[in-house]
Amino acid sequence: MPAQLAIGLGIVAISAVLAFGASRFPAEMGFVIMAAYVYPYAVAAFLGVVGLLMCYQALTGGFRNLSDDHETTQAQPGGKLGATWVTAGLVGVALLISYIGFVLAASLLFACSARGFGSRSPVRDLAIGIALTLPIYWLFTAGLGVSLPPLVNAWI
Amino acid sequence: MDILSSLATGFGAALAPINLMWGFIGCLLGTAIGVLPGIGPALTVALLLPITAKVDPTGALIMFAGIYYGAQFGGSTTSILLNTPGESSSMVTALEGNLMARNGRAGPALATAAIGSFVAGTIATILLTLFAPLVATLALKFGPAEYFAILVLAFTTVSAVLGASMLRGFASLGIGLTIGLIGLDSTSGIARYTMEVPELVDGIEVVLVAVGLFAVGEALYSVLYQKEETSARHRLTSLWMTRADWKRSVPAWLRGTLIGFPFGSIPAGGAEIPTFLSYSTERKLSKYPKEFAASKGEGAIEGVAGPEAANNASATGSLVPLLTLGIPTSATAAILLAAFQNYNLQPGPLLFQTSGELVWTLVASLYIGNAILLVLNLPLVGLWVKLLQIPRPYLNAGILVFATIGVYGMRHSTFDLFLMLAIGWAGVLMRRFDFPVAPVIVGMLLGPMAEKQLRNALSISQGDWMIFVTQPIAASVLVLTLLVLLVPYLLHKRGIKLHEDD
Repeated sequence: MPAQLAIGLGIVAISAVLAFGASRFPAEMGFVIMAAYVYPYAVAAFLGVVGLLMCYQALTGGFRNLSDDHETTQAQPGGKLGATWVTAGLVGVALLISYIGFVLAASLLFACSARGFGSRSPVRDLAIGIALTLPIYWLFTAGLGVSLPPLVNAWI
Repeated sequence: MDILSSLATGFGAALAPINLMWGFIGCLLGTAIGVLPGIGPALTVALLLPITAKVDPTGALIMFAGIYYGAQFGGSTTSILLNTPGESSSMVTALEGNLMARNGRAGPALATAAIGSFVAGTIATILLTLFAPLVATLALKFGPAEYFAILVLAFTTVSAVLGASMLRGFASLGIGLTIGLIGLDSTSGIARYTMEVPELVDGIEVVLVAVGLFAVGEALYSVLYQKEETSARHRLTSLWMTRADWKRSVPAWLRGTLIGFPFGSIPAGGAEIPTFLSYSTERKLSKYPKEFAASKGEGAIEGVAGPEAANNASATGSLVPLLTLGIPTSATAAILLAAFQNYNLQPGPLLFQTSGELVWTLVASLYIGNAILLVLNLPLVGLWVKLLQIPRPYLNAGILVFATIGVYGMRHSTFDLFLMLAIGWAGVLMRRFDFPVAPVIVGMLLGPMAEKQLRNALSISQGDWMIFVTQPIAASVLVLTLLVLLVPYLLHKRGIKLHEDD
């Protein structure tokens, strides 16, 4: 079970990072009842034990009591490509939102994720995206007081 | 008398037009997201948390409570008509209700679920009205040692009892505790695990983690592993329940409520255990065991009525520890706690004294919300079903757009959006390998609280750890925690498999 072993080792690694970080906290001055490293060490120890037990399970027949879904679930054909589209949409919105504003960036995300889920008409998706995000933009900024980057960005 | 007059004041405030409007919006939204697969109450409330900046606490909390309740109502509609549970706590409903629908009895199944939810919700709210002040008074006597012990109990129940594997539950909890560690330590002022990233000094927002796991993670998982649902929808039939239906439903509703409420109100998290318990109780007590799914029958109405009532009662019950102790027992309750904290309100025994009016208005709004939901759900069920026609690409794309608003709206940070994406991919792994999600959310919120209480407890005892053994209440709670660790073992032995509720 290489994937499961990797997860177990990953958890052990997180535990090690926690412990290493805690060992390098700056010293505290004065009377300290429970230093800042005590609780992180405890979490690290807890995760370390859990991670090692997971490695043990992974090596001896795999994780116990996985749900029925786990057995029957198959990677969907085109699933990886779809997930790439969704991821690309999210990366795109993160990189672009401060330049092209919320409405355009979110519409782009809408079209990319729709594509990822199998839609094949990008122009229509983009149009639906804009038709959806414009009223949302208005509702959230004017109605609910959430500030979002405007359509035309701030430095123009 | 004291409770009654407080409640009357609460009703006065809750019936104000503006609060009625928030309640109505909440119920509407809640039902919609309950009906829609792939979006649950935890995510919805998380996405709406930014409104706490503008809307007054009473209105916002009334709306969030409406969403919480509404999702339970809406979830049953999807389970009965589609056989894909809209919420995982309506899994039993999907089993029995879908069978009824297949045999032309969709209407009565929907009716018994909705009326049962109303009856259970109302009775549970009465119980909440009576018990919450008592628990709050009791909790006033708790010191830090007791609180720490209760937090440990909550950690254990949330991660060990839910889900299929105690070990994976603990792993999720550990991840949550780790996320909670990031940021400034409130006592020493040391920045912990911020890796020189300025965005991490304030810690990671619970909204970001919830949105990453529930919206981005779900969407990615769904595109990677789930086929487009083509399962036929069952036809709606008349909602009319026959005399026999009523006679069989009423006792099931009452039993379901009595099972659900206590399970919700102890920190045992989730509506899974009570719904399963109610289902097996009904099967045992029914005069028509042949109708149940297990005997390949046509679907027994008790099997829908009882679990649906238990489901709703436990949702209400979980407000007891949230309001009186400040301890959430489910992901949604954890997000509700975050909503309180956004207003600088700390749920706990003092809340009843410092913000009594708010609490009682909220409780009153629960009575009103249940009535609104019954009216919204039964006659309009045909309308709700139409929501299921939204094409899958647009539904998921829309959820992701809202996720972006929720996360970016907080502080306009590109870093946050990348973090959300990373957490989403981690969520895919967790889902794939059957890790529960609720312990992550609960752990990251309660972890810092546990550390603080532990520090306070040790300050009082002057560094003596024996305080957790010598203080009777703290010690018995810790013993209880050890006993809880045996529960999953017993459940497995009886062949009961649980999945978490998000």
